[in-house]
Amino acid sequence: MGARFARRWRLAVPALLGVLLAGCATGRLDATKPIGEEARDIDGLMRLSGWMAVGVGIFVAAAVVTIIVKFRAKPTDDPDDLPPQIHGNRKAELTWTLIPTAMLVFLTIYTLGTVFDLARASDGPTIKVEGQQWWWQFSYDLDGDGNDDIVTANDLVIQTGEKVNLEIHSNDVIHSFWIPQLNGKKDAVPGRVHHWLISSDEPGIFYGECVEFCGLSHANMQMRTIVLTPDDYKRWEQEQLAGKEAAQEALVEGSAAAAGAALFETHCISCHVVDGVYESAAGGNANLLAGIAPNLTNLMSRTAFAGALYETYQTGPGGEYLRNPDGSLKVNVAELREWVRNAPDMKPARADNQQGMLDFSEVLTDQDLDNLVEYLKTLGSPPVLP
Amino acid sequence: MAIITDQPESPDLPDSSGPGTELEVAEPDSHGDDSPRTGVFARPMHATGWREWLFTVDHKKIGIMYGALALFWFLIGGLEIGLVRLQLWAPDGEVISADFYNQLFTMHGVTMVFLVIMPLANAFANYLVPLQIGARDVAFPRMNALGLWVFFFGGIFLNLSWFLGGGADGGWFAYAPNTGMTFSPGHGMDFYALGLQIAGIASLLGAINLLVTIINMRCPGMSLLRMPVFTWMILVVQFLLVFALPVITVALILLTFDRTFDANFFNVDAGADPLLWQHLFWIFGHPEVYILILPAFGVVSETLPVFSRKPLFGYPIVVLSGAAIGFMGWGVWAHHMFTSGMGPVSVAAFSATTMFIAVPTGVKILNWIATMWAGKVRFTVPMMFSVSLVAMFTIGGLSGVMHAIAPADTQQTDTYFIVAHFHYVLVGGALMGMFAGMYYWWPKAFGYHLNDRLGRWHFWLMLLGFNVTFGPMHIVGLQGMARRHSVYGEFDGFEFWNKIATIGYFFMLIAMVILAVNIFRTWGRYRRGLEPGAGADPWDGRTLEWAIPSPVPEHNFDYVPVVSDVDDFWHKKYQPDETGKLRRIAYGNDIAQIGDQHPHLPSPSYWPIVLAMGMPLIGFGLIYNLWIAGIGLLLLVGSMFGWTLEPATDPDAGHGHDGHGDHDDDHGAEKPDDGPDDHSDGDGVLAASTANGEAAGD
Repeated sequence: MGARFARRWRLAVPALLGVLLAGCATGRLDATKPIGEEARDIDGLMRLSGWMAVGVGIFVAAAVVTIIVKFRAKPTDDPDDLPPQIHGNRKAELTWTLIPTAMLVFLTIYTLGTVFDLARASDGPTIKVEGQQWWWQFSYDLDGDGNDDIVTANDLVIQTGEKVNLEIHSNDVIHSFWIPQLNGKKDAVPGRVHHWLISSDEPGIFYGECVEFCGLSHANMQMRTIVLTPDDYKRWEQEQLAGKEAAQEALVEGSAAAAGAALFETHCISCHVVDGVYESAAGGNANLLAGIAPNLTNLMSRTAFAGALYETYQTGPGGEYLRNPDGSLKVNVAELREWVRNAPDMKPARADNQQGMLDFSEVLTDQDLDNLVEYLKTLGSPPVLP
Repeated sequence: MAIITDQPESPDLPDSSGPGTELEVAEPDSHGDDSPRTGVFARPMHATGWREWLFTVDHKKIGIMYGALALFWFLIGGLEIGLVRLQLWAPDGEVISADFYNQLFTMHGVTMVFLVIMPLANAFANYLVPLQIGARDVAFPRMNALGLWVFFFGGIFLNLSWFLGGGADGGWFAYAPNTGMTFSPGHGMDFYALGLQIAGIASLLGAINLLVTIINMRCPGMSLLRMPVFTWMILVVQFLLVFALPVITVALILLTFDRTFDANFFNVDAGADPLLWQHLFWIFGHPEVYILILPAFGVVSETLPVFSRKPLFGYPIVVLSGAAIGFMGWGVWAHHMFTSGMGPVSVAAFSATTMFIAVPTGVKILNWIATMWAGKVRFTVPMMFSVSLVAMFTIGGLSGVMHAIAPADTQQTDTYFIVAHFHYVLVGGALMGMFAGMYYWWPKAFGYHLNDRLGRWHFWLMLLGFNVTFGPMHIVGLQGMARRHSVYGEFDGFEFWNKIATIGYFFMLIAMVILAVNIFRTWGRYRRGLEPGAGADPWDGRTLEWAIPSPVPEHNFDYVPVVSDVDDFWHKKYQPDETGKLRRIAYGNDIAQIGDQHPHLPSPSYWPIVLAMGMPLIGFGLIYNLWIAGIGLLLLVGSMFGWTLEPATDPDAGHGHDGHGDHDDDHGAEKPDDGPDDHSDGDGVLAASTANGEAAGD
């Protein structure tokens, strides 16, 4: 019997381990794999408190198991014979009041230091973050003149080795900004400006999402932080500024893109802005509760659209980018087109209550959609990837 | 007259013929509609059947109804979250829409907090507090009934939103401005605000009543430090309710004014700061957490000593730490707001206070362990649930300390790590404690035990399902899965643990089905005479509720007990012998009161339920048409007049026959079909004037 038992276990253990490993395969939001300095500080506290909690938990569990095994009443016990009647013990109780207190004093001191460290501002650049239903906007004032030079959505682009100050705003309800691998969360509260830090020494794409319940499409309000090396970052900045110029150039007359631009002017500019070309919605518009829709000037330079719910460029099964024979990225035309046709179908929104993009499926013909997508493809150059 | 059955060790008392005849005190000549008129209605003098329940002012019937309603809402709240679990089975779930998902998790939270755990605690408090302090009823019996019916209508009102355009969709925390008319134009949030307002009135009525009862109606000798710990915890909870409910009341009034009358309390464009709502909500909301958990702590503080056959280790410390939790609970609310941007000084302060509320909580856990240590522990079903509370709540408490560390909380908050934490506290703690209480006091309330084998199945499936569901949420939360997201992506790596959690849900669902089967099957068997009666003291109990018959007669105590110690009843069973060792000198069933007295009790009344009916009408009126509110208001004010003009105890009730104590023993044979709970209502009245025997009028 022993051998059979052992054989069973020989099979069971790897199976169990396999199951657990499958469960530990982590995704791109893992807070326990910190990259940024702030996230690493927090992770240190989390691990310390986590192991202390595990220790105390094991102590209590061991006591409970001992009671179950050792102090169980036996059928042979005399029902009228009582165990020792102990009403209490001041010394023991004092001990188990003071030991946890001491542990907590230690944790508190450690904690308070980190709280104030994380609240400090850095001397790095400042980026304005705006949350609204259900996407994030990031604005860069490069020359410090009070005007935003780059306005983008979904992709927050920063460079390695620089602590960036984020100024977090909200344009409608409360949202919460979170890139788990770079720092903890900070709420975006309408009427308030919140300061938060973000940094990374490694280039890469770090994923995040809104984590304060913000209404119907809360689950679909995602974002990315793209960390570039200083050289790449410089290139990204220049391409963003160049994209503003390029958007103002005339399109080839009679081309699909030009037809798309005409449609864009008819249907889209009451909400969307293209810098220097279509600015009727600049400075806020009454069609949306949030007042703004994504600025589309450099649309194609972003890795994702629709609140970072869809990839701008086609990806393979492992999430890697697919490329054309010439090495360029393949535009995700199918989903972009579908998004323009019927956005609320791809991402729940209350368009009837001015929350989210309208359904154009009854308005635009197939030809219209093709032309519009051709126009959108002219907006900005491909993204700078880390 | 009435004879208590199932006291085998009691040879002086004649045995009666079966469980169905227990405590048969009906008085034939007192039935009928000869009730005198008081006010508009004839008073329900001797209501029987369903009327007996609808118009009762008996704290025990009211307690049972609280429990039944809570279990019903538990089913609803559980099924709601079942759909959520199915939606999260796979990435990009398409089982339900995002809109319905938001309504489901909102209503699940609201239901479980306000319609399940609070009323479950209320059920035990109502039933047991008067028994544990040796009183014949609560201080204000009609007000007690009013509380029940307001809760009843409040719960129905809240859930009618499902049929009138959809449930509330702003989360149970309802953060402004997402819950304003601008962002939530449906009626769900109106039903939320008004429904909780109504439920709050019910809790406030109950709290005032229990406070007055506990402070004023303790039997002679029962000083505060001789009070059973369950009653102590209920006392602390009622203080918390009395101070916390006004805050949520104010917050909900502001929300209702914003939504209904276009006020600007949370209108950012008009200069409002949305953090106002958060502070108001959590100043209520955090004491609320202790309102939910302390009754369960009280329950296990009763069961652990009984089943370990040892006194509670450090009784004064356990009581004191309960009270300390109650006080400290007021200084920690903003730990729900560490990421809200309130500034590092506030964050640091609330981080520290939150950390130290773990001290009294930890003391309680260690005292419970010391209580069981070196005992002779009987692992009955209530004891199994109680021990699992100690173990499971500890896990929730420890993860709670992890969130008290504010920087760590910025990673944990609004993820499934928090969901895991508070489910370990509220399911592993509060609910396990409530189940322990159910199995423990069931024989007291109904006269028979719930089935032991089914109880064990219930326990093990519950424990397993609970850990399989909420354990993985710790992991998936740290891996970054956010709460309240109706879908997750295929690259997020959340799928595996979500599947496990959904499987765990079904274990819990089966456990609940087994509980339901247990309740109905055992009840049926008892009615057919197949279940033995439990006797007055089935567990070798320590507190006064075991010193009276099971089920408890309507008047509770024949004579008001006098106590001289903590666990006084237990000391009447065990005394030191000449060597100083404690020896049994009596059996509880022998020395328990027999329930043969018939003191004057408060009469049933129509007014509580009629008055309560006005409140949902006012709610509908505020949502749809103020004329309906007018009708509701008329009903409410009219009932108040009717109530005021009606004496608490009908002056004509039962006069004309004073033959107490000389009734026949065989009334049971005359009415064999009556259930075990079918007590008489105020017949055979005896104007017993005792220290507190008269339940005061309200």
